[in-house]
Formats: sequence, C-alpha cells, structure tokens
Amino acid sequence: MTEGTGNLSLLMAMLAAAGALFCSALAVKSDNQRVLTWARRLIYVFMAMIVLGSWALLSALINSDFNNAYVASYTERALPMGYKVAAFWAGQEGSLMLWALLLAGMSAIAVYGYRNREVVEQAVLIRILALVCGFFAALMLFAANPFVQLPGEAVDGHGLNPLLQDPYMIIHPPLLFVGYAGYTIPWAMLLAALIAGRKDNQWIGATRIWLMVSWLFLTIGIILGAKWAYIELGWGGYWAWDPVENASLLPWLTGTALLHSVMVQQHRGMFKTWNASLISVSFLLCIFGTYLTRSGVVQSVHSFGESLIGTFFLAFLGVCVLISCGVIAWRRNLLKSENIVQGVFTREGAFLVVNVLLVLITLTTLVGTIFPLISGVILPEPVSVGPAFYNKVVLPLGMALIAVMSVGPLLTYGKDAGKTLARGLTLPAFAAAMVLVIAFGIGLSDLWAMACAVVATIAVTSIGVGLSRAVKQRRLIEDEGSLATTLRVVDGNHRRYGGQFVHIGMIMFMVGVAGSSLFGVTETFKLKTGESAKISGHTVTFAGLHQNRYANYTAVEAHIDLIPPGGGATQHMLPQMRFYDKSEQPSSQVALTSTLKRDAYVTLAGWDDDGQRVAIQAIINPLVAWIWIGGIVMSLGAVFCLMPKLIRQASRASTLVPANLNPAESNQPTVHLSLAGEGLCDNSTPTNASAGTTHLKPETIK
Amino acid sequence: MTHVRIKLLIAGLVLLTSVSYLAVAGISSGWVYYMHVDDFVQDISYQQRRVRLYGLVGQENVDVQPAMLTASFDLQGDSNSLAVHYQGVVPDTFKPGGEVMVEGLLDEVGVFQADTLMTKCASKYQSEEHAKRVEASK
Repeated sequence: MTEGTGNLSLLMAMLAAAGALFCSALAVKSDNQRVLTWARRLIYVFMAMIVLGSWALLSALINSDFNNAYVASYTERALPMGYKVAAFWAGQEGSLMLWALLLAGMSAIAVYGYRNREVVEQAVLIRILALVCGFFAALMLFAANPFVQLPGEAVDGHGLNPLLQDPYMIIHPPLLFVGYAGYTIPWAMLLAALIAGRKDNQWIGATRIWLMVSWLFLTIGIILGAKWAYIELGWGGYWAWDPVENASLLPWLTGTALLHSVMVQQHRGMFKTWNASLISVSFLLCIFGTYLTRSGVVQSVHSFGESLIGTFFLAFLGVCVLISCGVIAWRRNLLKSENIVQGVFTREGAFLVVNVLLVLITLTTLVGTIFPLISGVILPEPVSVGPAFYNKVVLPLGMALIAVMSVGPLLTYGKDAGKTLARGLTLPAFAAAMVLVIAFGIGLSDLWAMACAVVATIAVTSIGVGLSRAVKQRRLIEDEGSLATTLRVVDGNHRRYGGQFVHIGMIMFMVGVAGSSLFGVTETFKLKTGESAKISGHTVTFAGLHQNRYANYTAVEAHIDLIPPGGGATQHMLPQMRFYDKSEQPSSQVALTSTLKRDAYVTLAGWDDDGQRVAIQAIINPLVAWIWIGGIVMSLGAVFCLMPKLIRQASRASTLVPANLNPAESNQPTVHLSLAGEGLCDNSTPTNASAGTTHLKPETIK
Repeated sequence: MTHVRIKLLIAGLVLLTSVSYLAVAGISSGWVYYMHVDDFVQDISYQQRRVRLYGLVGQENVDVQPAMLTASFDLQGDSNSLAVHYQGVVPDTFKPGGEVMVEGLLDEVGVFQADTLMTKCASKYQSEEHAKRVEASK
C-alpha cells in the first residue's frame, strides 16, 4: 500500500515539476497567460503529490508498517509515538522527503504571491522553483527512495538511534530544513527579477520576508541543535565545529549579512551585485552543505553513509552555480549601484563592514570545513583543522562584528555621523569604563572577557541612547506619557527595533559563549560510595548506584549530590547509562542543573562490577543558560520584525511633516530617502507591506 | 577615486591582511595530520608528531576500564596494527571491531598515547542496517 502510493506520488510530483518547467518556458515563448496559469497549477500539483507521499510515509511510521524498509530501520513497536513521528526525518530518505515537503509548500506560496506579476518574471520564478522541486523528486525516486519494500514483514523494527531519542531532536531538523528550503525562494525571485530585466528595487522587499523567515528558523534550528548536542552528547560543549554543524552555520552567516545589505538596496539602491551574489551563495551553501555531509567526502561525527546522493547533489550544485553566475554576469548592467558610500560612519558604511566581516567568517569556516579536501590535493596526507583554527580566526572576527553592531543604532543613512556618533557614544563609553573598573575590582583579568564586557555594555547602552533620542523627538510633537511614547516609537518601526532586539539576543549569546568557554571547568573523578570531590567550589558526593527499567531501555543510575559553593540546598543529580533494547551500545544520559549563573553537568563514565565505585565527569559551565536565552531573544526579535503593527498609529502623520528636516539630528532615515528606496513592496506579503510604510509614521518624521 | 573610497580600500586591505594572518596562525596551530594507521606505521616521518589516526579496533587485547577512564586496544589497518593506550572518557559506542579515530602521540616504547577517541560508523545517523536491508530487497 505504502509502496504503491508513495512511489506513484513521487513519480507524479516529478512529472508535475517537469510539466511546470515546460509550461513556463512555453508561456514566455507564446506570451500566453493561460499556459502560465497551468505552469502555476502544476506547482500546486507538485505540492499535493509531495503531501500525499509524506502522508503515506507518516502513516506507515505511525502504524509500524515493517514491510517498509525505512520504517523497519528507524522505528520499533515500543517506540513512543512522538519518536515514531520524528523518525520521519531520522534517516536520509525521510529527511529529503521533509525538505521536499517544505520546499513544495513554500514554492506554492511564492508562486501564488507572484500570480499578478508580469509574464517573464512569473515564468522564470516558476521555472527555477520547478527545477529545484523536480530535483528533489528525482533524487528520492532514483537515489534515496523512502518507499523501498522488504521481501517479508519484519516482526519488529530496528529502533531509533538512542542519540536521536530526545525532544530537541524532534524539532531541530525540521526547523533547519525550513531555513534551507526557504533560501530557495529568494534565489528564484532574484533570477526572476534579473531575467525579466527589472530595474527597480521593489522585488528585493519581497525576498526580505523569505530571508527573514529562513533566518529565523535557521537560528532556532541551530540553537536547538547546540542544545541537543549539549545535553545529549555528554562532552559538555554545544558546538564542535563539526562539518555538519558548519554546514548549517554557513547559510546562516550569509543570510545574516543579507538581512543587513538588503536594507541598503531598498533605501539607497546600493550593494546590488553584492546582494545578488549573497542570495545565490546562501542557496548554494544549503545545497553544498548537504552534499558535504551526505556524500562522505568530509569525515564527520554525524555524517550520513556514503551514497549516490553525493553525486546527485554535486551535479545539481554545479548546475545552480552556472545558472547564478551566468545570470548575474549577463545582467550586470541592472546591478549598477545608484549611490556611493558617503563615509565609514554612515549606516550603509557600517552595514558594509558587517557584511565584509560576515563573509570573511563564512569563508574561513568554509575553508576550515573543506580543508581535508584542499590539503589532500597538495599534501601527501590530508590535514584537518580542529576547533583551534576556528577559535583563532572566527572569534576575533566575531568580536569585531559585535563591536560594529554595538554602535549601529547611532548611525544614519547617507550622512557621515562622525560628530553625532561621538556625542551618542559618550554615555555608552562611560558605562563601559564603569564596567571595566568593576571587572578589575572583582579580579577579572582575561582579555577576551574584558572585551566582551565592554562591547556588551556599549551595545546595550547604544540601543538605549538611540531609543531615547527617538522618544524625545516624538515627544516634541505628541504630548503623551514617556512609556506610551516609547511603546509607540518601538511599534512604529518593527524592523528597526526588532533588529535591535535580535542584537540584544546576540549579546546574551556572546556572554554565554564567553562565560562557558573561558571559565568552564571539567574534571573526572573516581569515587567510592559516600566519597566526595570538589570542583570550582561545588562539592560532588557519590551516594550510590542503582538499576531501573524504563519503556524501551534499562538504565544504570548514579545518585550524585551536589552542594553549591557556600552551602545552599543540596541538588540530587541522576546521570544514567542507558541500555536501549534495540541498540548494541549503551548510551550516556547527562544530569544537569542549570541556573542563570552556571550549569553543573555530570555524566556517568563507568563503574566497577560491584557498583561500589564510579567514574564521573563533572563540568561547571558558567553562564551557559544565556546562550539559550539569547537564542530565544534573537528569535523573538525576528518574529517582532515580521509582525504587523500592534498599536493603531495616529493618522495625522501627513499634516505633521515639518518643512525643514535635519537628517544629522535624526537617527532615523529621512522621509525622502526611505520613500525613494522603498516602494509599497509586494502585495502578496502583507507583513512586508506594513514594514514598507514604517517610515511614514510620525515619530520617524519627527 | 574619492576620499571615502580610498579610506574603505585601506580598511579592506588591513582587514584582509589581519584575517590572512589569523588564518595562517590558526591553521598552523590546529594542524593535525589525518591518516590511516597503515600509513602511519610505514612512514617514520609522521611518528614524531601529533596525528589523528583511523582504523579498526582489534578483536583481541581490548582492555577497557571505564571506572579508571582508560582503554587499551590494538588499532588495526589492513597490513599493520598499533598498540593504543587511551586516557579519558570511553565513548558509549566503543566496541571491538568498530571503526575509531584516535588523536595523540607515539611514546618511546612504541605505544600510541591517545587523548581523543572518537567512534565513527556506529554513531552515524544513517543506519547501516537500513542500507543492507534496502540492498537485500533489490
């Protein structure tokens, strides 16, 4: 049943994509709206077919249809229902199915949103999306079919890898795939705009929504992946610069750069070639990362098996690179800048620096990831670079990036703000100096820690200064309470203040990373029952070893009592070694107590046969919680950027425009600039339309 | 060329130089040869440095002391094998016959002293059973 439905749906999906490809080409040739409508409908058919296929796989998983090889390999009868669903993306074939499903949904939305566009632009969008959709359908049909049937039904499945039996693992991969699939749409929109010969910058506003959504999901996905690694892998870290991790970081980095440079194109008509390249690169990096981790060319802890998939992805990557380079080179005339950078201390100048830094981080991460490949060509033996490489190169660049970010709120478009910047920085600099004095006072001497403290202080106070300037300006024209005015100001420019929310999240994230990597302490202890050991002020006592039975595993548990420095309540911790019924190897389960100040992290490494002595690994990780809090704040900030306005703004805006504007005094872009660069955007994306009109609000006009 | 462009160009050059410097420094500090145990045993020039080796855990002579945080085993290639002594937390997935990666230095008596031990195949997300099953059903 599953096999038939599944294979049929994949075949139909591939044919629908091929049909869309053909119809969209025909529509341009004959300039025929009806053929174009058919091309669009075939994208919807593709989506329907992939939904059908996914449903077939999902129901096979839920009903434990062990006739299906995929179901038999990744689930078992005793597996809790949530994990049966999560097994959908536990293996190669299913994860590609999920990617295709998300891609199909997004393509349908994008195609629908473009339905009133001019023929060529619409046709090219459909063609590019059909190409990518068709690739995924063909990939599943020919190289990674999730519907392979077994000769006879297995009695029970092989079970899900214990490492994947974790709540974070249920949601982490789908979120990453939303991000990966999401970067396809801006790429298609870019090619559509270029091939259709659009000279304006309106189309880029439509890509921004997709970039933002993809970025949001990628951010949550990466943070959850880090959290999963932290609590599941048992080595006390959350990021190991493993190729799989890097593969998700690369498009995030270029995506972050894009969110900044796209605004410059909207406002000032600049950085066009740069944006076109970055949009292409973000998409290509998603494909490249997948190729890297699924072809076996780079050794990774969590790589998939070597397979034909690698060749498919490499060939597809080659095609996409050629398309991108070809179209950008062919339409380079459309990508000429309308303005030049007026100075380093302008907002576009800062965005340029931010972009360059992010691209440099991307490049170094990419080089580090594929270094075994590069060095394998020139040296007799391949050389791999470890975390030391990334820490040496990426950390200073990241620090510089956050430093530029911290003064961002004080800069304006098109006008060198050297003087106002100095004035705006007085308070932040004073606060940073105070923080430095306090840091010295409590005996902090690490240079990186100092730098983090200074940058964090400047960043947060600058945002405060920027906001209070805007509030003051608004209060000149509106007589309201200061709280109400602040809320109105923030609500009046979601993009700006959402962005700053993200920046605050980034600062929290940095604090967490710095705290845990600079001041983390790891010790291994061999303890007899009743014995204690000390780790950075905490007392760890081994109280005894027990064995317990759970749903699909048996666990050996060590009872550990942890007493924080200076007394306080004893915390009972229960690190486990789990023996899953369907797994040959035991799997270690971390015990963790977390506060805003520090995490205490204990793993059970081993024990003597009589259970009287254990080896445990204890880690005290300061400030780790701020990484997760920072992640949440970043995500909320991005959500805020995407939300429509919450408070009804005064409609008197038009009567309140003062004749004489002085942009140097305003920290907001002035009206004429924002109107020039920013059209009313795409009517298919209501959130964008509201973001596009933000600069008409009273407080931004002052 | 405008004044601003020159400034930006200089800033770009300074940035590029410093990043290149960082990259070179980073690569040389993180420089670890990654090789098969056979190649390592045969080539004396690598035996003085820290390397990362991969091979199979031998079926015999495996001595794991989880409570003492040590593991001794033979790392086997196709033609050679090497005695390895590892100090640290032994991964859950470590088993005789499994594929592992060790990082460390050869000591004076010819035992490879490893401080990093990673198991490879067993922790792959892709289930090996699945590949076999799919192959068998064809």
